[in-house]
Amino acid sequence: MNLQELNPSMKAITIVLAVFLLAFVFDPITPLLFSSGVVILTFLFGRVSWKIWSLYFVPFLIIAFGFFWTTLIFADTGSQAGTIVDLGFLTFSHSDFQVAISLALRVLGFALLSLLFILTTNKTEFLLSLMQQLKLSPKIAYGVLAGYRFLPMMMTEWKAIRMAHRIRGVRRGKGISGRVQEMKRYVIPLLASAIRKAERTAIAMESKGFTGSKERTFYRNMKVTPKDWVFLGVMLSLYGVSVYCSVRWGYFQWYDGQL
Amino acid sequence: MNKWKMREIVVMSVLSVVFAVVYLAFLPVGKLLVGFFGPIGYDLIFGIWFIVSIIAAYIIRKPGAAFLSETIAAIIEVMLGNAVGPMLIISGMIQGLGAEAVFAVTRYRMYNVWVLMAAGMGSAVFSFVWGYFLSGYAALASPYVAAMFIARLISGAVIAGLLGKAISDALAKTGVLYNFELGKEHRRNKHGAA
Repeated sequence: MNLQELNPSMKAITIVLAVFLLAFVFDPITPLLFSSGVVILTFLFGRVSWKIWSLYFVPFLIIAFGFFWTTLIFADTGSQAGTIVDLGFLTFSHSDFQVAISLALRVLGFALLSLLFILTTNKTEFLLSLMQQLKLSPKIAYGVLAGYRFLPMMMTEWKAIRMAHRIRGVRRGKGISGRVQEMKRYVIPLLASAIRKAERTAIAMESKGFTGSKERTFYRNMKVTPKDWVFLGVMLSLYGVSVYCSVRWGYFQWYDGQL
Repeated sequence: MNKWKMREIVVMSVLSVVFAVVYLAFLPVGKLLVGFFGPIGYDLIFGIWFIVSIIAAYIIRKPGAAFLSETIAAIIEVMLGNAVGPMLIISGMIQGLGAEAVFAVTRYRMYNVWVLMAAGMGSAVFSFVWGYFLSGYAALASPYVAAMFIARLISGAVIAGLLGKAISDALAKTGVLYNFELGKEHRRNKHGAA
């Protein structure tokens, strides 16, 4: 089984479901076990390169750390009782520490689930599948695909505008108001030309007979296969096992607007 | 959806694409702020993530513009490969719904600066409630959560509402919105003044 072969819509639904389920639990053990399972799945079945994965993952470590320390400081536990956790220069009550680590691990869990999706999903297939499985209107879907193709063009345009400014001797903005003026000089022409191109594209689509009706046929058919249900099953069991272990070890806690 | 013209849909998608890139560019800024200030860091600039709703609704003025543009921007963000993943589509839908609700209250007739600011705040409220559930803000002290909420409201009103209006008006001045509601309004005002 390969994660790339799964139906993108089903994969997205599974991931979203997993995020929801994870959001209901608030203890350190469940997200820790679940996330570990997700990482193993990603590398075992995802053909994902370590380097790219880390590139995406590191920022989330920073966020999680941000959550961790602010929760330690601002945690709303009420009781100061319990064992003291000593971090050398600061001390916290045990319950504060547990809340902070739970929150941080939860954020990481969400991130890891998302990485699994992003790094194993083809963009065009995702959109085709949104149209075929989730009944997204073809008008919107092809509008989005057309818009998506504009991106590289806009990059070229941006460079052209910059060079046009330079060659006419427009100075770079100084100070905050100067920077704002500079942004305006770039953004408005860029958007204006994008809108012009979009209008032309729309006219072209209509003149080629694109009606946007839902009864269209597709060159590439996206199907839901048993593999997709297996993936859903695997994710649910992983969640079940994580919760079970957490309960067994006495850490388990529901999330009910904690503390 | 049938009332929409193809040109409106493609223009909305293109706006969503452009702002999806802008949204992604602001994620590291948010992360940096979060690193310094904790979770409130995001709220300070949260308004930027609602801006396409305001711009699309203000320009196109059809039911669904705010919701759809934000949703499309979220889909594009996922396609471009950000690490928030498919969950982001749901967040985008919820933010879009917040702005959409405000426009729906005016029955899609009023698009003055107050309505646009209120729409930005609508997104802020919806997204905050969503974030409250998902991110476990409840674990933080309530004054801190309140500060986060207020920061996000102001950010929604100012960055999404005011900046969104300013960008759209500047675009209307260039004349490219000739075929859109905002462009028509600008022409009417010009003739009225002359």
